[in-house]
Amino acid sequence: MELILIPLLSAALAYGAGQQLNRSLAFALSLVPGLVALALGVHSIDVPWFSDDIRLALNPSGWSNLMLLLTNFLVPVIVLAGWREGEKFSLQVALTLFMQAALNGVFMAQDGLTFYIFWELALIPIYFLALLFSEGDRFAVTLKFFLYTFLGSLTMLASLMYLYSLTSVGDDGHHSFAYSALQAVELSTTEGFWVGLGLFLAFAVKIPLMPFHAWQSDTYTQAPAGATMLLSGIMLKMGLYGLFVWFVALAPESLHYMLVEDLFDFRDLIMVMGLAGLLYGAFIAMRQSDAKRLIAFSSLSHVGLIAMAMLTMKSDGVNGAVLQMWVHGVNAVGLFLVVDLIERRLGHRDLEQMGGFAKSSPFFAATALIIVLGTVAVPLTNGFPGEFLMLKAVFNTGTGYCGVLAALTIIFCAVYMLRFFQLAFMGPEKGSLSSLEWNEKLALLIIGAAVLYTGVQPQIILDMVQSNTDSWLNAIAESGGILS
Amino acid sequence: MSALLIVFAAAILVLFLGINKPESAMKWPSVILLMLAGLVALSGVDLATWLTVPESMISYSSMDRLFVALLCGIGALVIAVFDALSSKGSDRLGLMMLSLTGAVMLVGQENLVMMFLGIEVMSIPLYVLAGSDKQNIFSNEAAIKYFLLGAFSTAILLLGSAFLYGATGTLVLQSMTHKASMYAHFGVYPPMLVAGLVLLAVGLLFKVSAVPFHFWAPDVYEGSPTRSTAFMATIVKIAGFSALLRVTMAFEPMSLWYQNAVAILAILSIIVGNMMGLVQSSPKRMLAYSSIAHAGYMLLVLLLVGQAQFEADSILYLYLVAYSIASTGAFAWIEWATQRSGKMDFTMFNGLSSNRWAIVNMVIVFLSLAGIPLTAGFAGKYYLFASAFSIHPLAVGFALLGTLLSIAYYFRAFRFAFADTQESTPNAKFSWVLMLVSVAILLVGCAPMWFMP
Repeated sequence: MELILIPLLSAALAYGAGQQLNRSLAFALSLVPGLVALALGVHSIDVPWFSDDIRLALNPSGWSNLMLLLTNFLVPVIVLAGWREGEKFSLQVALTLFMQAALNGVFMAQDGLTFYIFWELALIPIYFLALLFSEGDRFAVTLKFFLYTFLGSLTMLASLMYLYSLTSVGDDGHHSFAYSALQAVELSTTEGFWVGLGLFLAFAVKIPLMPFHAWQSDTYTQAPAGATMLLSGIMLKMGLYGLFVWFVALAPESLHYMLVEDLFDFRDLIMVMGLAGLLYGAFIAMRQSDAKRLIAFSSLSHVGLIAMAMLTMKSDGVNGAVLQMWVHGVNAVGLFLVVDLIERRLGHRDLEQMGGFAKSSPFFAATALIIVLGTVAVPLTNGFPGEFLMLKAVFNTGTGYCGVLAALTIIFCAVYMLRFFQLAFMGPEKGSLSSLEWNEKLALLIIGAAVLYTGVQPQIILDMVQSNTDSWLNAIAESGGILS
Repeated sequence: MSALLIVFAAAILVLFLGINKPESAMKWPSVILLMLAGLVALSGVDLATWLTVPESMISYSSMDRLFVALLCGIGALVIAVFDALSSKGSDRLGLMMLSLTGAVMLVGQENLVMMFLGIEVMSIPLYVLAGSDKQNIFSNEAAIKYFLLGAFSTAILLLGSAFLYGATGTLVLQSMTHKASMYAHFGVYPPMLVAGLVLLAVGLLFKVSAVPFHFWAPDVYEGSPTRSTAFMATIVKIAGFSALLRVTMAFEPMSLWYQNAVAILAILSIIVGNMMGLVQSSPKRMLAYSSIAHAGYMLLVLLLVGQAQFEADSILYLYLVAYSIASTGAFAWIEWATQRSGKMDFTMFNGLSSNRWAIVNMVIVFLSLAGIPLTAGFAGKYYLFASAFSIHPLAVGFALLGTLLSIAYYFRAFRFAFADTQESTPNAKFSWVLMLVSVAILLVGCAPMWFMP
């Protein structure tokens, strides 16, 4: 509960402080929830909310602990360096902190409606951040983004309401929205497909998976750096987390729904979506000269693999996917930060007009290299263990060519990420960057340290998620029996 | 009953005492009197024990008293939140309270005669209020339009009552239920009963501006002075839906017969209201269509009547609380923005974001209308949609789709408010009452159980 109340309060404080809010104060405010949670532990709560059977139930466990860590680790970094100090700084910080509260709620929710409410709530601050501070045709782009995601949310609500109406009636004669009750509902395959489709749409739009990605590149590119970091670093994980916990676990029956008789079921379709996004993102990223757009498409490529690995339903694959959610969050925030730091100094982000920055700012180049290598999944950086586990699981599932195609993207990823690094930091010097501010240096250091530490010690995180992975797989095996 | 007397007495008092006083002198006394009436209704104290009224004419259950309190509260809010208009006389305040008297009667009616009386007492002052901006040709147009169509619809309602009397031999709603269940039992519906019910429904649906009886709403809402519009959009909806619910409850045994018709009307209202809302260039007109769409959502409540597991009246009550608070806020915003900029289209919102606290309020009001979680609008929509979902999933599907569409036009206000403009923004006085509105919206949204009877 404190993980929601403290950021909300901080957001109000930040907004109220107005021009008086400076960088260090904002950073301190954003750190509080995480520190409090570390020191005192996260308290769960379960009280009647909309009615006695629709409860405000928040209880972190396993995967959600990791997601809470991600949120409360990255939000301070974003506050530290994501926003440029200016007239509207306090508003940006306030909205970011509001977002932190909503995201924490999403990751802890143990009740269908609680989840939906926080899910929707997370959309509001990011909408305003994108609306107020984007460049270009900001109204059209943000409205497209909002309507896309809201449509997904509504189908999710419809599915949840349907599941709710099927839950067993308790002693008090009411249905229940509790997660365990929703999970216990037995569906036929067809029924499960429609329920699952409603849930899936919400998450597929948010991630985004391949045919639902139309909002992504425009929003990512035109939104201010801080908003892009929130979107790709944390909100995207909201979609993946939802896919794991609220789609597959609630409607595992849907995965068996045959779209083409005896050949192609819903699970295959999602796998294909993941694979398509993975290849498509990589190909487009290789051709981009706009650095931010390049990172946006690389993000599309990486999440495709996570979705595929999850659906392998193998312990390794799922563990790798969950680990990769943390890794991708850290790396995406780091990469967008690097791009934004360059853009702040040059006024543009055209790769063709960059070059040789390593000479004038070696520290910047070194930290940027660490993040780039982490994204490429070089051993001893954070990208490696996750990608390895995921690819292993994808290879061992179904026909081998899926694994081969998926593994190819490691090479593609190296191509576009190293091309980015080379064009920006190496080669003949095309101008120089002014030196980094303290907050920018600190943010890069934090991200760089996280990349290396996770790369050397992935076991810490794997231990954190293992038990949840097991129980998740068991629950699905019981209700659907799809362990292949 | 006591609340009805207080509101009526207050109306007469304000009308005569304020005949040549500026409105600003009578504004706060009227607000206090209405709050008092609301509190009396809430507490259920009977101040007029000497007055006996036949139960078959008018009576207030505890649920009705909540509706009365809501009416009085919203009436007070509308008076409080808008600036005093006239410096010559407070007749408009008196008329609003007189209209409120009719609305309170309508909530308590048990009898078609009382229903007719309530509707007339509520409507006639409204015709005057719609035209109260005498110099404005649009206000005159609104008054004439509202009066002619309103008079017709009341006549139709009266004809319906006559038919129902002919078919059932009574004007008391409760006795009609017996007849209706008898007819339903045999599955034969005499044409006179059917015709009477349809005509009665037409009259009531006109008042709440449901499709296809909505054509008056955009013109009348746009032409009337904004305060009158806010009053119409809230008070008439509350009283009208309360009456509709009561009639539906009376004819509940025939629910199989009317259920699909209600669902179709709801779907049509949702589609027409939201689609037309998308293309409006005037915010006031947009809110008119939005109120049509909201009428569509609320029609879904009628589907719940007779289902033991749902309390249709408390669901309707919460929705009305959410809708009327947010609507009043939205109209107040339009009035404020118009005064500031002198414009009638969306550009009136330009540059409003320069006032950092005011803009928070505006955002909350419009988010609540759109039904975003943790605002009152979401709580109202949630209970309604979740309950109706098990009875008529298709209609709820359309309602969800309508909600999606409505976001596109509610959020247009933000688009202008946050636009970069160089326009000078003289800081008009910002009403603190509007701040109370947003606090109320958040309170209902965060703890809806406290407000669910």
